[in-house]
Amino acid sequence: MSILANKDTHVVIQGGAAGVNAARRMAEFCYLIKRPLNVEAFVYPPDAGKTNEIPYGSGLIAIPIYKTIAEATKNHPTINTSLVYIGADRAMKGAMEALDDSHIKVVSMITEGVPEKDAKLLGAHARKLGKVFNGPSSIGIISAGACRLGVIGGAFDNLVLSKLYREGSFGVITKSGGLSNEIIWICSQFADGITTAIGIGGDAYPGTDYVSYLEMFEHDPQTKAVVIVGEMGGDLEERAAEWYGAKKRRIKLIGVVSGFCQESLPKGMKFGHAGAKEGMKGEGSARSKSEALKKSGALVPETFGALGPAIKDTYQGFLKSGLVKEIIEPVSLPRLPKTVEEAMKADEVVVAPLIRTTISDDRGDEPCYDGYPASELINKGYEIPHVIGLLWDKRLISKQEAEIIKRIMMLSADHGPCVSGAYATILAACAGIGLSQAVAAGLIMIGPRFGGAVTDAGRWFKYAVDNNMKVDEFLAYMKKHVGPVPGIGHRVKSLRNPDKRVKELVGYVKSLQIKTPCLDFALAVEQVTAVKKDNLILNVDGTMAAVLVDMGFPVDSLNGFFILSRTIGLIGHWVDQKRQDSRLIRLFDYLVNYAAPKRREVPPLK
Amino acid sequence: MAKVLEGPGMGLMKKWGIHVPHYAVVTSADELSKLGQVNEWMKQTKLVAKAHEALGSRFKLGLVKVGLDLSGAVAATKEMIGRQVGSITISQVIVSEMVPHKDEYYCAVKSTREGVEILVANCGGIEVESNWERVKRLCLDVGQAPSTEKLEKLAKEAGFTGPVAKKMADFAEKMFACFDHEDAQYLEVNPVVTRESDGELIALDAVTLLDGDAKFRHPDWNFQFAAEFGRAYSRDEVEVMGVDSKIKGSVKFIEIPGGDTAMLPAGGGASVYYSDAVVARGGKLANYAEYSGDPPDWAVEVLTEKVCSLPGIKNIIVGGAIANFTDVKKTFGGIINGFRKAKSDGKLKGVKIWVRRGGPREKEGLDAMRALKDEGFDIHVFDRNTPLTDIVDKALQK
Repeated sequence: MSILANKDTHVVIQGGAAGVNAARRMAEFCYLIKRPLNVEAFVYPPDAGKTNEIPYGSGLIAIPIYKTIAEATKNHPTINTSLVYIGADRAMKGAMEALDDSHIKVVSMITEGVPEKDAKLLGAHARKLGKVFNGPSSIGIISAGACRLGVIGGAFDNLVLSKLYREGSFGVITKSGGLSNEIIWICSQFADGITTAIGIGGDAYPGTDYVSYLEMFEHDPQTKAVVIVGEMGGDLEERAAEWYGAKKRRIKLIGVVSGFCQESLPKGMKFGHAGAKEGMKGEGSARSKSEALKKSGALVPETFGALGPAIKDTYQGFLKSGLVKEIIEPVSLPRLPKTVEEAMKADEVVVAPLIRTTISDDRGDEPCYDGYPASELINKGYEIPHVIGLLWDKRLISKQEAEIIKRIMMLSADHGPCVSGAYATILAACAGIGLSQAVAAGLIMIGPRFGGAVTDAGRWFKYAVDNNMKVDEFLAYMKKHVGPVPGIGHRVKSLRNPDKRVKELVGYVKSLQIKTPCLDFALAVEQVTAVKKDNLILNVDGTMAAVLVDMGFPVDSLNGFFILSRTIGLIGHWVDQKRQDSRLIRLFDYLVNYAAPKRREVPPLK
Repeated sequence: MAKVLEGPGMGLMKKWGIHVPHYAVVTSADELSKLGQVNEWMKQTKLVAKAHEALGSRFKLGLVKVGLDLSGAVAATKEMIGRQVGSITISQVIVSEMVPHKDEYYCAVKSTREGVEILVANCGGIEVESNWERVKRLCLDVGQAPSTEKLEKLAKEAGFTGPVAKKMADFAEKMFACFDHEDAQYLEVNPVVTRESDGELIALDAVTLLDGDAKFRHPDWNFQFAAEFGRAYSRDEVEVMGVDSKIKGSVKFIEIPGGDTAMLPAGGGASVYYSDAVVARGGKLANYAEYSGDPPDWAVEVLTEKVCSLPGIKNIIVGGAIANFTDVKKTFGGIINGFRKAKSDGKLKGVKIWVRRGGPREKEGLDAMRALKDEGFDIHVFDRNTPLTDIVDKALQK
């Protein structure tokens, strides 16, 4: 048997993420002991109407979320226990709601930092109703082989190591969440394990005391001894001692109390638990508690370290007297399926990656571009062109190359509202379209007639240079196989009205006295084509392309330079229209040539 | 519990109708001079000046001056502000009106398991301690308020007669109101005195312990809590508190000067057993520390650095039970980083480190600790099969 929590315990969890985590842990335990999940419902108003998916073995169980306890117990009348995971400021209201529901007999509060007055009110209310209010700051309650409430018992491996899949003979009551696991472990290693372990919480005035649980253990024939782990502060241990000493008890009591160190520490020092503070005038000291327990006939080891042997002795005594029999462990136990992440961590599984990347990695505390941490690049003076170099060409470009890219970007950032891309963005902005869609509208205008010739220009100039072609030979090849030479020709600019951007870029690159075979070739092509027709000049696309190919950028990346720099302008146009609160554009009739058939009668449908 | 200094404590009492002397908390002598120009009481009554810090034995240290006039109070303030007492610098002085009186009484309200206890005595000051049997109590269940009749009965039991009994009952009622509404855990006025000018009962001193956990429903608590052990918090303690307030989980750190065994254990419960083990073995604790609730590794790293900075330590105890869900590998990662930093800062010379822990990813965490040996740390690592506090025995064996 067990106390408080057993196979008939059905739970509602009040709260969000922490409650879901607890439900997962409870499901792990249910899976270990081959019982259905004991969590029936959640109460969490923000998500009411939805479900939380709780893994059980390798499957998922959908647990409904309700707005109120009443809704939960109406739909799940077997619910008899509530676990409170609500924040400290709302915990009391939630727990009161649960206590006041006739279905619920046990409320265990995990929330820490609950005001003392709230906890006392809840405790008093529960006692009045004849119910149990456990906590606050409780790690939970676990009955071996039967039921887990909360995260007590730790991770799955620990549940198995501590033999929580089957009942032993020792009850455990602790104030400390961390120590509850330690005691459960000790009971499983030095004796035959536990019946029920309860975390009553480390607050000054928990809703229950040792006595209420000792009384229950006394009436549970399976429990032969109870271990209590106390600490200085309050008088719960003295009350336990008083109860134990009052008459002959069936159960053996083993107790340890912490806080002897306080005798040699500054007065008033506060320890980890809110309740762990020596009272006024020395009452509630570890020594007085320890003495009281000893006097009552409880077994009180001198140190925590001696607790294991004390439990062992007690268990051996039970064995000798025939009170308990040695337990034969099951041959096999369910094993919790690992998640892919866990299996990978344990080197147990290989996953074929879905995609492959070679340029960046954001798994650390900051993104790395081709291996270089972004912050380090910033702090060592690198700039946007270097980031482009790393992400587009996987190399750290030189200062000089960065300067060229910077100039390219600046020269092609915008070219007024009339080009197709800018016009499309403006049109979209005026139609009330959002920034990203409006800019995308502009970007999809980039093509063979607007800014999109960079890649192709680069490809063919490179082809010519790589194949040592003469200009005439190249032009003949292009005419026969490709068509007009990308990068050559401009709608408005011509020899007499040269493109300043091109002049600027060519002038700068030439001034660097670096090798520019593609640019040289492109200029040579212009010499020939411009003679044929004076607007067949090397345009800005062609110039960018030649320069970038000379710098070694992959041909496929070249249009990217135009897309990237022109995006600056497109964003500007969108913001500009927004700022002006521009109205929807509609073409005037007179700007359209209506060449459609004249109005005529629709024939009858045949 | 959270201790509140006298100034804000009196402020809370005043809020609930308890008469308190005129008082002002100042941070400089100049400020007091300026206040003196606009506050009549400062010119008309004798004054008391006290260092407004969480310090014990202020009288002995000369940090309480009585019977002053305004210029005397200004001089006393000038002398006290900036004075160094142990680890703290006095930054505030509370100047209050001296209330001439004859009789002294006692009144307190304290939290009990069932509810509240109201304590009243017909004697006050240091007399209460030696006449504890004269203190009469009224016990109330939580949620219950005391009736006027019951309070009057209590006052009479304590030996008050005539109109003073009624006044004392009324005073206790206001104390209860303050206690109840302000989420207090302990309120004490010693002494309560009769003001000669109007015969009203007035609180000459205030001990105020509030429930820090209830701060969320008291937006007007615009004061800082004070240390409870007769000294102010050190800079490192305050820094760790700052970290603690920012994170999920917790990190705690209190320095104990003169010790040689530094504590870096996990868990509010286990940490005390570790401290006990040190004391039981004749060791001297250098601090109390604790981390729990799966805190982020950087918070544990800060805590570790503070622990490593404790002067004169010989051993560091990195103890812990079997964690429920604190990730041992991750939190140990924080500790390891802290150790490395401390070592590169020239600390940890001749310091032995003792580790015992269990819980999620315990093997990885313990292996990482063990590997510190190769970096020249004097480290000894044990797993869950070594009983909890045995590392203390090993560390402290002669």
